[in-house]
This record gives sequence, C-alpha cells and structure tokens, in this order.
Amino acid sequence: MAAWVKGGATDAGAAVDAAATLLAAARTPVVAGLCAELSAIRAAYHLADAIGASVDPVAGASLYAELGSLSRTGAMLTTPAEAIGRADTLLIVGNAPWDRSIVQEIAESVPSRGRAAGTERSILSLGGPRNGATRHVAYPAETGGLAISVAHLRAFLKGHLAGEAAYADLAKRLAAAQYGVVLYDPSELGELGVEMLQGMVKDLNEVTRFFALAVSDPFQGRALLQLAAWTTGQAPRVGFGRHVPEHDPWRFDSARQIAAGEVDAALWLASLPAPRPDWLATLPSIAIVGEGSPEAAGDVADIVIAVGVPGESTGGALWNERRSTITYTPPAGQPAELNAAGVIAAIQDRLVQMKGASC
Amino acid sequence: MTTLTLRQEPSERLDFLHVNPLALSGLSESEAAKLPVGTSRRGLTLGDCFSLSLDGSDTLIIEGGSSRLDRVGAALSGGTIRVVGDVGQRLGEGMKSGSVTVTGSAGPFAGAGATGGTITIEGDAGDHAGGAVYAAKAGLDGATLVIRGTAGDHLGDRMRRGLILVGRAGAYAGSRMIAGTIAATALGDHPGFGMRRGTILAGAAGAITPSFVETGTHDLVFLRLLARSLRPLSPAHADLAASALTRYSGDLATLGKGELWVAAT
Repeated sequence: MAAWVKGGATDAGAAVDAAATLLAAARTPVVAGLCAELSAIRAAYHLADAIGASVDPVAGASLYAELGSLSRTGAMLTTPAEAIGRADTLLIVGNAPWDRSIVQEIAESVPSRGRAAGTERSILSLGGPRNGATRHVAYPAETGGLAISVAHLRAFLKGHLAGEAAYADLAKRLAAAQYGVVLYDPSELGELGVEMLQGMVKDLNEVTRFFALAVSDPFQGRALLQLAAWTTGQAPRVGFGRHVPEHDPWRFDSARQIAAGEVDAALWLASLPAPRPDWLATLPSIAIVGEGSPEAAGDVADIVIAVGVPGESTGGALWNERRSTITYTPPAGQPAELNAAGVIAAIQDRLVQMKGASC
Repeated sequence: MTTLTLRQEPSERLDFLHVNPLALSGLSESEAAKLPVGTSRRGLTLGDCFSLSLDGSDTLIIEGGSSRLDRVGAALSGGTIRVVGDVGQRLGEGMKSGSVTVTGSAGPFAGAGATGGTITIEGDAGDHAGGAVYAAKAGLDGATLVIRGTAGDHLGDRMRRGLILVGRAGAYAGSRMIAGTIAATALGDHPGFGMRRGTILAGAAGAITPSFVETGTHDLVFLRLLARSLRPLSPAHADLAASALTRYSGDLATLGKGELWVAAT
C-alpha cells in the first residue's frame, strides 16, 4: 500500500486530498527533510512558496558549517579527481572522512599529473582513528577538539609557535608538500573549525599549493544547495511567510521552530534514507518517504505517502560525490507507481483547486 | 512617551525593524496600528498585537515583551526604547545611536553589527550576543552592549569595535574577534578562539586555547584607563581591570595581536 491517513491505508488520491486540507489550514507550516531527488526538492520549494512555509533540509547542520565560513572568508577548494591525480600530501582531519571511499582511492594511487607527478604520496591524519587499515602518519587531536587542534597546528605553520611538538613536525610536512589536500567533514569540524582550516590552507598557499576537499553530507545537501541558490538566490533555510524568500539560518531551523511552538504543520520529504525527526509525530504532519523504508508506515505521521526511491524505483538527479556535481541516476529496478515530485505537485494543484472553490 | 502594550503572547515571530520612536513619531495611532509586524501569511499588524498610545516623543516603551519580538531597536538612529519583558533575536541589530533597554532576557545576536548607542539587557542574552549574523563581516561594531546576567556561547563573535560588558558568558567568547573590548566576570572554554586583535578581560576563564601563550603579569597604563572607562557602567568590572591580571597573547593561529587578561590566581 502506498499511502496512509491517520494510520489507515488508503489510495494516493485520498492521501493527497488529506495533505492539501491539512496544509490549507496551516498558517506557519514547515517543509523539512528534503533528502530526495532534485525534482522533488524543486517541487517542495514551489509548494513552500505557495503556502508560506519555511524550508529546512536535514543536511542543514553540515551545509551551514561550510557556508558560515564560505560566506565570510571564502575557500580554496579542489575536486576528488584533482586530489587523486595531483596530491602528494593528504591530510585527513577527524574520523568521519575515513569512512569515505576516496581515502582508499587516494591511498592506492600516486600522483599522476602536475608538479608532484610520479612522487610518493603521504597520508597524514589529525585526530583520526588508529586502525592501521591505511598506511598513514597519525597526530592526535587536542583535548578541546578538532577546531582547537587545527588552530594549534596553524600557529606552528605561521611560525608563531616553535619547538619539538608533534604539530611542529606536521606543519613541516604540510609546508613541504608540492600539492597538498586536506580532507574533512564540515559537520564534524564545525563552522569555527572550517574557517580556521580554510585560513590554514590560505596560509599554506603562501609557500606551496594546498587545497581543501570537504566530504559531502549523505542527505543530498550539496545538490539542494545549488537548487536553493538558483531558485531563491539564498542558502537553503528560507521562509516564504512574507511572500519573498527570507534567509535566516537561526529562525528557520525546524527543530528550534517546533520546540518553540512556532509551527502548526509539517511536511517531511525523504524519498532517500534520512533520520526521522523526533518531532514528526508531535504536530499535524505529512511524510513523503521512500517505499520500503522503515518510515513507510501509517504511524509515522498523520498522512504518509510512499514514493519511489531515486536510483532504485525511480530516476532522479542526485549529488555525485565522485564527480562533485549533480548527475541523473536511472532506476535500477521496476519503477514505482508514485514519485515524490508528482505527489508534491498534486498536493499543490489540490490546494489551488480548494482556494478557487472557496472564492 | 509612546507606549505599546502587548495584548497576549504573539502566535508567531514579530519583526520590529520598522517600529521605533522616529518611525512612530510621524504617524497617527490608526496609521501606526497598520504597520506590518507579522512574519507569516496572516499579515499581522502592530494594532493586532499591541494597544497603542502615541505622543510623538522620542521614547518608546514596550510593555510586555516576548521571546518572539525580533529586531527590537534594529537600525535605531536615535531616541530610547525600553522593553518591559523579553525580546527575541537581533536586539538592536545595526543600530547607530540611541539606547535600548530590556528588563528581561534577549534571544541570540543581540547587538549584531551595531555601530553606536547603548544596549542594556538586564536579564540574560542568548548565543552570539554582540556576534555576527550569517554572512556579516562583523558583530558588534562600535556600540556598547551591557548584559547584567549571563550570555550564551560565541559572545562577541567577529566583533569589530565597541564594548561588551557581561556577567558570565559561555564558550568561545570573542571568537574571530577583529577588535574591541569584552569584559566579563567569567568566561567559558576557549575565549578568543581565532581572534585577530582586541582585548578580553575576565575574572575567570575555562580552558585556554593552546594557540594562546602566557606573557606574564603587567602593570600597564592601558589597564588603568580601561578600569576608569568601565567604572560608570560596572564598578565590579572596573575593580577587575584594576586587579592583578595574567596576560595571554593570541590567537597565534591568526594575526595574534589580541590579548586575554584573566585575574591572577
């Protein structure tokens, strides 16, 4: 079954009608999650605009750790392909990047082009695991965390601190790189840490070539960020309450809004796997979720509509981390009956019909 | 004086950017009642939420605050605003002159980008008080921000000019500070993280970032001048500035021209 209303199984049409009725009665709704194919995210933004909702993606924390720094100080970034092809030194900050396939890919290759071509590649770790799976030189993090560690390292790099400390050795290795890359996860490092790291990369470019490479969040945040920019001219957390997209990362943080009682209805969009928020069952809500997921059940929200999962049961434009861009992913299996973009568009059409009927 | 009295807790966040003594002075009560303050499709106006009593003076009293009153005193260019109760985010954001007083507590980003005037919070302040909002180049930028209670984390984040005087504050006070002065009775961990210039004075501080170095105790004329300037605002902070202090220099990860003064133990 593809849809549930108040826990009871129903057809998609009835669920769309119920969703439109719920949203029509709302005054300060929120559209959250947005872990989906790009067409569905686009439809969600258009729906939010139509009903005066605010928008907050599940990737928000990771995106804003990066954007907060980028918007003020800029960034020196590279792509995975450039890192694999050119880097003779890779610094991995924290634990999170070690789970990504790019680490193994870099570890098993050598620089093949550019000024470091043919040289041996060294992998350095700051505050990472010591599992020995990949040959690397490890430097422990400071007790204050990764951001503090990066600041301490940067002080040695700038020559403001000196001595026989471990970070002094790491600083020498980084400065000796011909083409260095630092790999990090913005959500693990935090905004202050990202800004400090980007400052360190800029300092390193005074003496050599060095770039940052942030691993992407697993919730389509990078793709969503581009869509938000070309749709609203803003970063993702916007509100349409006053008919124009207002950007305010604090005000439109959905968890904060709901905790403060500022929201009277929510639409949760997650056709791809995303952690279900605690608040979903606490207010009038609609969940548009991937079929076969644990969330595709009647008790998750007032109205639940199961849709095709992009890349599995429907096609969709998704973030391609390896290529650092948005690419189309065809369905791997039998196409689903419903897709998220179609369901959201149907809700919006129904809202327009209801508004016309009430005039 | 002009008085706005809140009828009941607002059902949504209200935006007071365009509600200040200067804006109200040229309006009749019926015109003022039509000023839009709502942030949703309801289209709430000032008259929907407040009863109004206008006399054209440069003093505005808001009776009955709420943590949903955003941008009270924002862009203020003169006059006085007094809020009896709480306010929401961005109190006095970008204000140029005048004074804003809140008898209750304030939400985050109080005094963000304020270039002049005085903001006084008699209760507590949220995170990023005197700090920069998203994408802004600077936090507090010349105004005086007085917080009688406690402040959250990131006090004075990217502050550029002016004075923040606070009781206790959370972690990362003065982070990414460009310049200016912060005086506190106690600060949380890692004060001054990433600061370039500026002065932080604290009665006590949590963990000091390893990219700060202790430079000893000093008897500087500057500290006496600082104590003198603080005394009219808070004798306790002035006494702190006049006491024995240990100086830390930092943040050496950046320009390193900032200083952190902590009461010597």
